[in-house]
Amino acid sequence: MEAMPKALKVLNWLTSALFLIALGLSLFYAPREAVMGDVQRVFYFHVAAGWVGALAFLVAAVAGALLLIRREQRWDGVALASVEIGVVFTCINIVSGSIWARPIWNTWWTWDPRLVTATIMELIYLAYLMLRQGVEDPDRRARFAAVYGILGFLTVPLTFLSIRIFRTIHPVVVGSGDPTATGAFDMSPRMRVAFFFSLFTFTFVYVTLLWHRLRLHKLSQKLDMVKMKLLSA
Amino acid sequence: MNLLDGPADTFNYMVLGFGVILGCITIFIASLALRFRNLRRELEIYQTIEMEEVEDSKP
Repeated sequence: MEAMPKALKVLNWLTSALFLIALGLSLFYAPREAVMGDVQRVFYFHVAAGWVGALAFLVAAVAGALLLIRREQRWDGVALASVEIGVVFTCINIVSGSIWARPIWNTWWTWDPRLVTATIMELIYLAYLMLRQGVEDPDRRARFAAVYGILGFLTVPLTFLSIRIFRTIHPVVVGSGDPTATGAFDMSPRMRVAFFFSLFTFTFVYVTLLWHRLRLHKLSQKLDMVKMKLLSA
Repeated sequence: MNLLDGPADTFNYMVLGFGVILGCITIFIASLALRFRNLRRELEIYQTIEMEEVEDSKP
């Protein structure tokens, strides 16, 4: 396996620096919210993690479509890597939201449309990872995963729109016109800086992790080839 | 929460929230590194076996 590319090393350092700045902006630069207090600071990373989840599932769906159109196996690796990252960040999104909800809604969990749709989305993609293991033939597995990834992506816009379609207590912070939403708040200019910088940083985190995960996939494929060669010898 | 009381004291929840976020990301990065190392080791073993087989097959 070749050494880590120089561009990836640079990306590692850049992403680490951006992450520390985003953390600093969220903790020290953004003001304390007038009612919710310090726990509102979690919101910057909570939304950014949700954004990474949605982006990762979108990339997986696009990779799946490319695999079906072009019949190139490499897109299966991209989809798998992306879904794995998406599952981790959606999990972060759900758990950090639950921690925010405890002091604000006075409960860790409620059967709110946003929470339910986000959890269904997470479970659907967890099933994607598990069901892949059940298909032995790599070509069939890739095709199956591609179709599943495209259909599974339907849960992403449903989750995003759930707080706009259904009656919900989840705040609509971006593009909110509903002042009655429980926990909703208007962002001050400093809060906006922390918010958009976190989104920007987490996009870098996604790209960096995707690159590392793809290298892992390539190494795994190389190992499989060596094993096959030995078995057939 | 009473608005007149000022911001609620939710510092502990903030610490918990950031702890979970940073912890999950760290665990994922560690898992990537660990899987990478294990695959590399396994690949080295198989490549050694492959080389030995090639040498054994020589007359």
